Amino acid sequence: MKFFIDDLPVIFPYDYIYPEQYAYMVDLKKSLDARGHCMLEMPSGTGKTISLLSLIISYQQFHPDKRKLVYCSRTVPEIDKALAELKRLMAFRAQQGETIDFLGLGLTSRRNLCLHPEVSKEKKGKVVDAKCRDMTASWIRGKAQAGHGDIELCNYYERLEAAGDLPLPSGVYTLDDLRAYGRENQYCPYYMARRALRAADVIIYSYHYMLDPKVADLVSKELSRDAIVVFDEAHNIDNVCIEALSIDLMRPTLEASTRSVNLLEQKVRAVKEKDAEALRTEYARLVEGLREVSAARDENAILANPVLPDDILTEAVPGNIRKAEHFIAFLRRFIEYLKTRLRVMHVVAETPVSFIQHLRDITFIDSKPLRFCAERLNSLIRTLELNDLEELTSLQKVASFATLVSTYDKGFLLILEPFESDAATVPNPVLHFTCLDASLAIQPVFQRFSSVVITSGTLSPLSMYPKMLRFEPVIQSSFTMTLTRTCFLPLVITKGSDQVAVSSKFEVRNDRAVVRNFGNMLVEFAKAVPDGIVAFFPSYLYMEAIVAMWNEMGILKEAWRHKLIFVETPDAAETSLALENYRLACDNGRGAILLSVARGKVSEGIDFDHNYGRAVIMFGIPYQYTESRILKARLEFLRERYQIRENDFLTFDAMRHAAQCVGRVLRGKSDYGLMVFADKRYSRKDKRDKLPQWIGQYMTDATLNLSTDMATSITRKFLRTMAQPFDGSQIHTSLWSVEDIVQHQKNPVAQPVSADHPAAKA
Amino acid sequence: MSKAPGNAKPPQPTEEFIDIDDTGEGEPEVGGIAGSAGGGYAWEEEYKRSWDGIREDEGGSLTSMVANLQQQKKRRRRLRDTASVQRGIIRHVIIILDMSSAMLDKDLRPSRLELVLSNLEAYIAEYFDQNPLSQLGIIVTRDGKAEKITELGGNPMDHIRALKNKRHTNARGEPSLQNALEIAMNTLGHAPAHGTREIQLVFGSLTSCDPGNIQLTIKAAVTKHMRCSMVHLAAEVRVFRELCTTTGGTFNVVMNEAHFKDLLFESIPPPPLHSGRTKASDLIQMGFPKKIVDRIPTICVCHNKPVVGGYVCPRCKCKVCELPTDCPICNLTLVSSPHLARSYHHIFPVPNFKELESTPPRSSYSCFACLRSFPHPNTLIDNSTGRYACPKCSHQFCIDCDLFIHEILRNCPGCSALI
Repeated sequence: MKFFIDDLPVIFPYDYIYPEQYAYMVDLKKSLDARGHCMLEMPSGTGKTISLLSLIISYQQFHPDKRKLVYCSRTVPEIDKALAELKRLMAFRAQQGETIDFLGLGLTSRRNLCLHPEVSKEKKGKVVDAKCRDMTASWIRGKAQAGHGDIELCNYYERLEAAGDLPLPSGVYTLDDLRAYGRENQYCPYYMARRALRAADVIIYSYHYMLDPKVADLVSKELSRDAIVVFDEAHNIDNVCIEALSIDLMRPTLEASTRSVNLLEQKVRAVKEKDAEALRTEYARLVEGLREVSAARDENAILANPVLPDDILTEAVPGNIRKAEHFIAFLRRFIEYLKTRLRVMHVVAETPVSFIQHLRDITFIDSKPLRFCAERLNSLIRTLELNDLEELTSLQKVASFATLVSTYDKGFLLILEPFESDAATVPNPVLHFTCLDASLAIQPVFQRFSSVVITSGTLSPLSMYPKMLRFEPVIQSSFTMTLTRTCFLPLVITKGSDQVAVSSKFEVRNDRAVVRNFGNMLVEFAKAVPDGIVAFFPSYLYMEAIVAMWNEMGILKEAWRHKLIFVETPDAAETSLALENYRLACDNGRGAILLSVARGKVSEGIDFDHNYGRAVIMFGIPYQYTESRILKARLEFLRERYQIRENDFLTFDAMRHAAQCVGRVLRGKSDYGLMVFADKRYSRKDKRDKLPQWIGQYMTDATLNLSTDMATSITRKFLRTMAQPFDGSQIHTSLWSVEDIVQHQKNPVAQPVSADHPAAKA
Repeated sequence: MSKAPGNAKPPQPTEEFIDIDDTGEGEPEVGGIAGSAGGGYAWEEEYKRSWDGIREDEGGSLTSMVANLQQQKKRRRRLRDTASVQRGIIRHVIIILDMSSAMLDKDLRPSRLELVLSNLEAYIAEYFDQNPLSQLGIIVTRDGKAEKITELGGNPMDHIRALKNKRHTNARGEPSLQNALEIAMNTLGHAPAHGTREIQLVFGSLTSCDPGNIQLTIKAAVTKHMRCSMVHLAAEVRVFRELCTTTGGTFNVVMNEAHFKDLLFESIPPPPLHSGRTKASDLIQMGFPKKIVDRIPTICVCHNKPVVGGYVCPRCKCKVCELPTDCPICNLTLVSSPHLARSYHHIFPVPNFKELESTPPRSSYSCFACLRSFPHPNTLIDNSTGRYACPKCSHQFCIDCDLFIHEILRNCPGCSALI
């Protein structure tokens, strides 16, 4: 269908549109017009991705400046899904007679794209990267061209090099298409995609390419200022930002770095004997400064600077690390210092400033050369023409750490934990260098790009993200689902059938009465709900404890009579096996229960649509482990810096995970499912308010304070009602045709939105 | 985000429940609490404010109101599918009953099991009444096993007796869909090709305990042209729905007791034939045996027991006890002519009568059939004229006669009068 929003013709590849999709597009367009950032929350399963893509592409093609779209998503399957949607949209546009020169493609790691017969067999991403570099680095290729014996090169890469500029014709390329095209023409898909980024109209890739400075520098540097950046499924974006700048150092890391330093030393000595000239030219270059990037082609960049682009120094490298030997001695001293720090047997938390101070007092290492550590190491590796980079990863980590710790003095904290847990007696020290300020990593993105869209199914409360990420959205809205039938039912169970309150509060969580009531709840739902049930626990630890107690009480045996039970474990392979069998049991009518963890793999990105999840039970509130020192530090930082109270943040974080978990059950309007919140604290208003509005609005007084038996009786009724034939009479109410849109534009009555425009208020 | 008080209230799910109740079944029972679904207590159910719909008329009387309600109910039953399609009037139906412990649940009164059994007896009687040429058999499944309690046969009493047998109806363990389907398919496999092969399942359990891959059994059911329909007593289970939709049957979930009866009885009229399966209508040999009454009991071929009465096969002259059946000796289909005649109405249904929007001028004052006078146009309630006209002969009937004609008589007296 084709319709107009203001003067913009929008082409949407379906005959009908949901009202919330339309509202979403209207808000998105407003923010694009205003060239500002926006935050949009829309329930999962209502076609967020296609609304985004179809509006932005219509916008892009309508306006002469053709702003580039950069769409960041979380996982590879999600990227693939978005690409497929894009492809379909473009096919529809072509059908509509909009033939335009258009290039859309996705980018992912070498591991997913590599075609080389041997390298592509490797499982680990790091290994693939290293092996690829061994064949494609410029000095290796240089050597090979000079005829230095048996150096293996990658055919695909060579063909691509020979092909010259941009061999990719216009169109949309999913990851599979890229591989297929690469195979057909014998081009390396990874480098082909990377080179095509410059010319692409739509780029779809992972967050990390945008946020992680180590990668972003290579990939996203050349994007123009007026590009539109979209972060989809962005409810965890603050954690991604923090992880991008945090480093953990452990003893094995340091040991490995020492070995690497020794290796470097040998190499330096060897090179000195053979080819002293190389070292001398490097020295000269370092005197001039580091920023002669043109020499370093992007393929050669082994270790990008971990620091954000704005903070990178443009001066000359300090004298005391210019010479290779000096730099190696410098590194060695630094590593030894870190080793002594790890020997401390009590918990230490200090700021980077105090760390640098102490470092100078003990080892006379200044902060300035420290800051150049990463770049200097990079330069050395390039000069020595080292291939086997895998061995150097630990050293690179240490160098990144050195650079980060000396660059940032605010928003970071060093925490040394000598023991893994409070009970452990064998020391296993970890030095956490942790970023506390999520806004640091994303700030350059907000500053550089005029329109950044943050969107997800669960972003409530919307006011939290602008505070944490320090940006001013021109539009922030939350959309609700228009439904012709209430196809999901949130229930808050506050007490068991015996009227004992249930809660995962620390004081009562191991209480037998509470555990038994949780167990009975599971059994009762197993009896009443067909096919799949997913149960979430706040943590692995708690899940293990409670499942052990259930086993003792015979509850598992009882549940087993009705459904099979599968358990998620931290091991990815085990979990995917469990998931596979869970699905099988749901398909075969045996029915299954999946016990999983609120922050685990299952809770993010795996959908339990239709029979795979007729009910989600959230046992307790998934608070973070509040004794964690890192979390404590972050809370303190948030309070001091952004005036976010500890409790507010913790509740916010817990509720967004809870919403994420229960949101798994509903994937589209023909689906239906139950969302069970089993904790008496969910009935409190401060908790409920932090749930997304599309869930919250269906929480009525009648379903807020239920006991298990009341809940199951409502459940049975709900399931019967939902199983009645659904005649799909949604047209005009929850499905709009073009006429309905025109009608709505003329007479905008009931907006299916509760928009909250800070700009409008101001 | 706080909810402003002025905001439109989110739709209460409870209201919708009631709506669906009303359309899915007959009238909600006036007691409100008695007909409640759900496993809990009556006070946990939503209110059905059945009294809100009742208004006194000017005279302060409720009779017109009640009459109106009754009429609405009748009208709802009136409309049925009358498209002339090819239907198999020689049917072979296997009923698979879930006898698992889930059937002991009391969320349907008096209990799921009791409800199913009592309705099934009525179902069987009605089935043979409407499909006299057809046969039926019953399989129960419990403890992961399936057991055939009656063979495919044409005598309703056999089946009803089997259902009354307590040994067959003690519920325990889990059902096995696969085992039951295998047995049903084996039984129906011998049914002649000109008849339909239908499996009607009544399940209360949400799981099925199968020895092998159920998907293969479903595929086999599709290739063998089994038409499986299910009435489920609790909720939608994926594999059950898949079985029904892939084999061309229907899958329904009951809302309450009355709804269960409606859903079960939906399968009494013969279903349209699978278009792919029918060989261009070929002729079937049938025998119309003579009924005899012997003075001395003689052995029948079907049970090997001495009986006095019976029917003699016109081809091989052997004696069978009941009709319709296949002659055990020469395999001839034995029917009686009234059976055949009664089965015809499914194939040539009386068209739905059209309700007249306004009283046409110079039309008769009374029903063509019962001669009772129509209500005067001025006293009409609820905008209905109470006149229903046959689209073929244009004679007008009252609603009671309309129902009688369509459900029992199956001939339009108006059209017959024209002949």
